[in-house]
Amino acid sequence: MITSTHPPAADPESKLRPARYGIAIAVSALVIVALITSSILNYVFLDSIPGRTSLYGLLAVALITLGTFILVRAYDRDRATRRVHLIRAAVLIGIGVLLWLLVIDVFLYTQSAGPGVAAVCALACLPTTAFGLWVVRRMDRNHKEPWRLVLVAAAWGAIVATSLVVWGETIWESTAQHTLVPGPGLDTSLAFMAGILEELAKGLAVLLLFLVMRNEFDDVVDGIVYGAAVGLGFNFLESISYMTNLYSIFQPEGIGGVAAGIQWYGRQVLGLFFGHATYTAYIGAGVGIARQLPGMRKKVMAIVAGFIIAIAGHFSWDAWATFFPIQNTLFGLVEIHLRTLIMTGPFTAGLIALLLFGIRYEGQNLLDQMRKEAATGQGAILPQEVPILASPWQRLRQRLQALNRAGVRGYLQVSRLQTAQLDLAMERWHRERKEIDTPLEAEQRLREHVIQLRHWVAA
Amino acid sequence: MGSITDAQLRTLYRTLLVFATVGVVILAIGLVQFAYFERPGEASGVKASIVGVYKYDPATGQTTGPDRSEYARNEQFAAVVEWSSIPSNITVDARWYDSFGSIEGGVGPGTPADLANHKTVPVQVPEGYHYVLPGRYTFVVERLEDGVPVEVLGRRFLLVDRQ
Repeated sequence: MITSTHPPAADPESKLRPARYGIAIAVSALVIVALITSSILNYVFLDSIPGRTSLYGLLAVALITLGTFILVRAYDRDRATRRVHLIRAAVLIGIGVLLWLLVIDVFLYTQSAGPGVAAVCALACLPTTAFGLWVVRRMDRNHKEPWRLVLVAAAWGAIVATSLVVWGETIWESTAQHTLVPGPGLDTSLAFMAGILEELAKGLAVLLLFLVMRNEFDDVVDGIVYGAAVGLGFNFLESISYMTNLYSIFQPEGIGGVAAGIQWYGRQVLGLFFGHATYTAYIGAGVGIARQLPGMRKKVMAIVAGFIIAIAGHFSWDAWATFFPIQNTLFGLVEIHLRTLIMTGPFTAGLIALLLFGIRYEGQNLLDQMRKEAATGQGAILPQEVPILASPWQRLRQRLQALNRAGVRGYLQVSRLQTAQLDLAMERWHRERKEIDTPLEAEQRLREHVIQLRHWVAA
Repeated sequence: MGSITDAQLRTLYRTLLVFATVGVVILAIGLVQFAYFERPGEASGVKASIVGVYKYDPATGQTTGPDRSEYARNEQFAAVVEWSSIPSNITVDARWYDSFGSIEGGVGPGTPADLANHKTVPVQVPEGYHYVLPGRYTFVVERLEDGVPVEVLGRRFLLVDRQ
C-alpha cells in the first residue's frame, strides 16, 4: 500500500507489528528446523541424490530466506538507509541462488540429463512463466502489486518451497513404498502427500509475505496475485525437473525431446494457470480475506479454508487424473485438454469468481474513498478526477493523452500520479476500517506526495 | 461504507467456506478410497520368500548370475519366488512396477499351487521400446481378496541405471 510510494516510514510505535512479526519469526523458525531435521534424516538414512542435495542446499535456502526478509523490509525504511539494505539483500539472494543452482546442477540435472539439457528446459519455461506472472499481476486492475514482491513470491515458490517438498516427499514416498500395497492405495497416499506438503510449502510463502508486508497485502485480490505468483514459481522449477528427468529416461529410445516437450506443453501451456497457480491462489485468497476480517476466529477459519481448498484441488488432480480415459488415438489429444478443463477447471472457475468479486468490491470502496478525499478539498484528488481514477480504461486514456502531449515522460508522470492517488484511497480505506498500523502522519505525507506529483505533471 | 465492506467481506468469506466444504468432501472421498485399497486389519503374518533378482535370458527363460539390486537398462532381469513358502489356501499374484507405477510384468492371480510352475517372474520391456525404462523398480508378491490386492507378502526394490 502506501509503502509503494516514498514518504511513509512505518510506525515504530505500532502495537500490531510485534505480534505479526513474532508469528512470522516463529513460522520461519519452524521452517528452518523442519529443513534441517529432514535434510539430516534424508542424508543419514536415505543417502539418495535428493538427500545429499538437501544437506548442501540448506545454506542456499538460509541465504535466500534471510535475503528475502531484508529485501521486503528495506522498503519500510527511509531512503537514506534503504539502498544499503537493498544491496545486502541482493548480495545474499545472489549468492544463495548461485549456490542452489550449483547444488541442483551438480547433484540432479547433470546426473540425469546434463547441464545443457537443464539449461534448454529452463530457457523454454522462462517466457511462459514470465507471461503467467505478467497476466497475474495485471489481474489487479485497481492497484497493482510491486514487481519486487511478485518476483519474491515466485522466487520463494521456485526455490524455497521446492526445496522444502523434496525432503518431505522423499521421506513420505519412501515410507509409503516400503509399507503400502502398490496400486491405487499407494497412488492415493502419494496424492495426499503432494497436496498436503506442496500446498503447505507454497502457502507458507503467502503467509509470511502477509505477516511481514501487510501494508502491501490489501485484500483478497492481492492474496490471489501473490498466491498465483508463488504457484507459478513452483511450477517453473517442477517443470524443469520433470522435463530433464523424462528426457534422460526416454533419450536412449530416441524420444527424449518429445517426452520433455510434452511435459513442457502440459505444465507450461495447458497447466500454467490451471495447476499450481490456481491451488496456491486459493491460499492467497484465504489470507487476503482474513486480512480484512474482524476477529481472530474468522481470520484463522479463512486461512484454513484457503489451505483446504488448495490441498483438495491438488489432491483431486493427482489422485484421479489417471481415471480420466485418454485414448491412444488422435482424439486422445482432445481428451488431454478436456481432462484438464473438467478436473481443474471448476477450481479455476471458483477462483475467478472470488477474483471478480474482489476486484468489484475493491473498486467500489476505492471510489467511495476517492469521493471522500475529493470532498475534503485538500487537492490530492479533485472531484473531476474521481470518475477517471475509478475506471482502468479512463486511466489508460488519460495516460495515453499525456503520451501524445508530452511523450513517455508525460505518460510516466501521469502514471505515478494515478498510482499515488490510488495508494491514498487504499490507505484511507484501510484506515477507516482500522486495518492499518501506520500513523495518520503517513497519510498526510502521502497526500503531500500526490500534490507534489501533480505539480510536476502540470509543469 | 464500513458496513458495506463488512457485507462484501461476508460474501467472500461465506463463498470461501462453501468451497472449503467441497474441499473437505473431496478429501474425505480420498480417505475412503485409501481405506478401500489399503484395508486395515489385513495383516495375515504370511511372508513370501523372494529368492532373489537375477539376470534373465528371454530366449531360454533362464536366470543366470548372482542376486543383484542394480541393473543396466540393456539387461533384462527376473525375480525368483519360492511359492511353496506361502499357505495354499490364499490367492496371490506377483508383479513388477516401474518408477511410474505401471505394471511391467507379473504372474497370477492364483493359489501358490497354481503358480508353482512360474517361479521366475521376468520384467517386461514396454511395447515399442528397446530396453526397460530406467529408475526404481518394485517387485511384490501380493495377497488378493475379491480380486483386490490387500497385503504385500514380499517386496524387493532394485535400480535400473540410466546409462
